[in-house]
Amino acid sequence: MAHQAHAMLYSVDPSPSPLTGAVAALLMTSGLAISMHFHTTTLMSLGLVLLLLTMYQSSRDIIREGTFQGHHTPPVQKGLRYGMILFITSEVFFFLGFFSAFYHSSLAPTPELGGCSPPTGITTLNPFEVPLLNTAVLLASGVTVTSAHHSIMEGQRKQAIQSLTLTILLGFYFTALQAMEYYEAPFTIADGVYGSTFFVATGFHGLHVIIGSTFFAICLLRQAQYHFTSDHHFGFEAAASYSHSCLMSYDSSFTSLFTDEAS
Amino acid sequence: MFRTMNAVQQMARRSICSSARRQVENKVPQKQKVFQEDNGMPVHLKGGSSDALLYRATMALTVLGVGFTLYELVKASFPQKKD
Repeated sequence: MAHQAHAMLYSVDPSPSPLTGAVAALLMTSGLAISMHFHTTTLMSLGLVLLLLTMYQSSRDIIREGTFQGHHTPPVQKGLRYGMILFITSEVFFFLGFFSAFYHSSLAPTPELGGCSPPTGITTLNPFEVPLLNTAVLLASGVTVTSAHHSIMEGQRKQAIQSLTLTILLGFYFTALQAMEYYEAPFTIADGVYGSTFFVATGFHGLHVIIGSTFFAICLLRQAQYHFTSDHHFGFEAAASYSHSCLMSYDSSFTSLFTDEAS
Repeated sequence: MFRTMNAVQQMARRSICSSARRQVENKVPQKQKVFQEDNGMPVHLKGGSSDALLYRATMALTVLGVGFTLYELVKASFPQKKD
């Protein structure tokens, strides 16, 4: 029984991606330091290019191992699911850090801030304008992604492609709206602890929405190329779980970060 | 101007129509054959010569990158003469 279970697992072929990915991280971090002191972004940009090359090749290899070589048996899929759950959990804790930073400074505001929250001099955004629209956009994308999932499970190819496309478009709409908000905001990241916590939290969130849209775009290409079957489409489920957790984090931001003068 | 707009509209209509008729072919069985071939190639090179090209380019960038990083860090470690 144990031997049988072991035969359903597999060892990956040796790959250059861990090395190239690690070097990309080295280049991006030291490049960031160099750019801050010598105002040259060459090293950091090189690191970014290497990161993108590594991401492309490693995910291409995983697709080959799963879809073309058949290595993603049920026990392997279980491992992949555990991996994704653990990663998403780590991301949740990452955001919890930024929320705790916000609450730390806003629940007991120091005299330097005017002893009030939002601090003196900060003109906050109206949460019921663009932030509410953005919440609605992300919630709508949750509906479309669930619709896409059901279409995939029922083997409805065209409907799955349509729902997935709509999901991606909603993600782009969110990003466009958020970019406009950033441009129009009456305060900046340099405006005290409020500005810092606001832009770092919403900024990382926005980056995660972009990552989610990219993940879904890859799923769309794969769905169009018949990679997903009605009972095996883990890549899509991973993208959906990731984006759902992103949506949850925005809902939490909405209720805490976007306060107006009345509260 | 309207003649150009008309032409663009016609072109857009034609290309949308033709893409709706052109179905994406299911190439998964072909890919499965290629990647399950017993040729001893690792998965990151099993797709053919474009894999090898991409690998070589990535590795070249990796080696160059490490060298460049070490150079920049050594340069930054020594005091620069201020003019």
